[in-house]
Amino acid sequence: TAGNKIFHFGACRVSTSMTEIRAGFTAIKANIQARDPIRSLSILSYPHSLHKVKSSDRCCITHHLFNFYVDKVFKHCRTEDSFVNRKISSIANSFLSVRRKLGQCHEQNQCMCGQESTEKFKQILANYEGLNVTSAAMKSLGELDILLDWME
Amino acid sequence: YGIGKWIRKPECRNINRTWCDLSNETSDYEEQYYASVKAFLNGMFSEWVETTRFNPLTDTKLDPPMVSVSSTEKSISIILTAPEKWKRSPEEESISLLQVYPGLQYNVSVLNKKTKKRVSFEKDVELFLLNLCSVLLEIGFSKEHCIATLKDK
Repeated sequence: TAGNKIFHFGACRVSTSMTEIRAGFTAIKANIQARDPIRSLSILSYPHSLHKVKSSDRCCITHHLFNFYVDKVFKHCRTEDSFVNRKISSIANSFLSVRRKLGQCHEQNQCMCGQESTEKFKQILANYEGLNVTSAAMKSLGELDILLDWME
Repeated sequence: YGIGKWIRKPECRNINRTWCDLSNETSDYEEQYYASVKAFLNGMFSEWVETTRFNPLTDTKLDPPMVSVSSTEKSISIILTAPEKWKRSPEEESISLLQVYPGLQYNVSVLNKKTKKRVSFEKDVELFLLNLCSVLLEIGFSKEHCIATLKDK
C-alpha cells in the first residue's frame, strides 16, 4: 500500500507502513513530549545513539525494540485525550504487524543477535527501569522519532 | 536532550535582539535538543522557558537544489545538485543533504508559458535527460513544430 517501505535486514525483509506511523507520531509528538519533563535521560540514546550500532546487529536491535514498544510502552501510554489515544493505538497496530514479521525472521535465523545488540538493549531496558512505568513509557513514546530516524 | 548538561551560548547573553543562531550547537543530526531562554530587566528575572524538542533530521527546512540545464539536438539535460548541510566554518568539508537524506527526491516540471501547459516528473537522481520531442508534445507544441525545431537546430 502507499507509504509502505521495505526494510532489508540481511535476508530479512520487512514491509512497514512508515509514512502512516510517522504521520501518526507527528500528530501527537508535541503533546507526548510535553508530558516528559526529564531532560537528562534518554531511553534510546543514552549513553550512545542508536546510530552507533553495527549494521549486522540492526535486525536484532529492531526486533528487540519493536517487542519493547509493544510490550512495555504503548499499553502504559493512555491519556485523557481521545485523539492522542487513537493515534497511539494506530501506531501500536502498525508495530504489531512489523513485530510479527521480525519474529518470523528470528525463527528462521535471519535476525541473529550479536553481543553489541544484546548490550545495547540491556542499556535501553536499564534506562526504562530507572523511571516509574508511566514516565518511562511516555518518554519512550516521545522518542519514537529517534527509532524511526534510525530505521530510515 | 538525554545528557542533561545545558550548553552555554555566550553570544546570546545580555542581548536585546529577539533571535539566536544555534546551528553550531545543534549540528549533530543524530541528536535532539532543547533550548531555553529567560528575560531580565533591572535585576528582575523571568522564569526559564524552553522550546519544544528539536530534531534536526525531521525539523530541518530543505533549501531548493541548484539547477542547471543544457540541451542537445534531441534532449534537454537537467542537472540537479542537492543543497549542502550547514557548515561550522567555510573550511569544513561539504556534506550533501543526499548523504543525510538518502531518500531525497525531486519534482521537476517544464512549463510552456504560451499554452500554460506543464509536465512534471518525479526524480530521485541528480542528472537526467528529457527527450525534447516528447516534452514539447506534452506541453502543447504541434508535431510539425517539434520536427521543425529539431531541423533548424
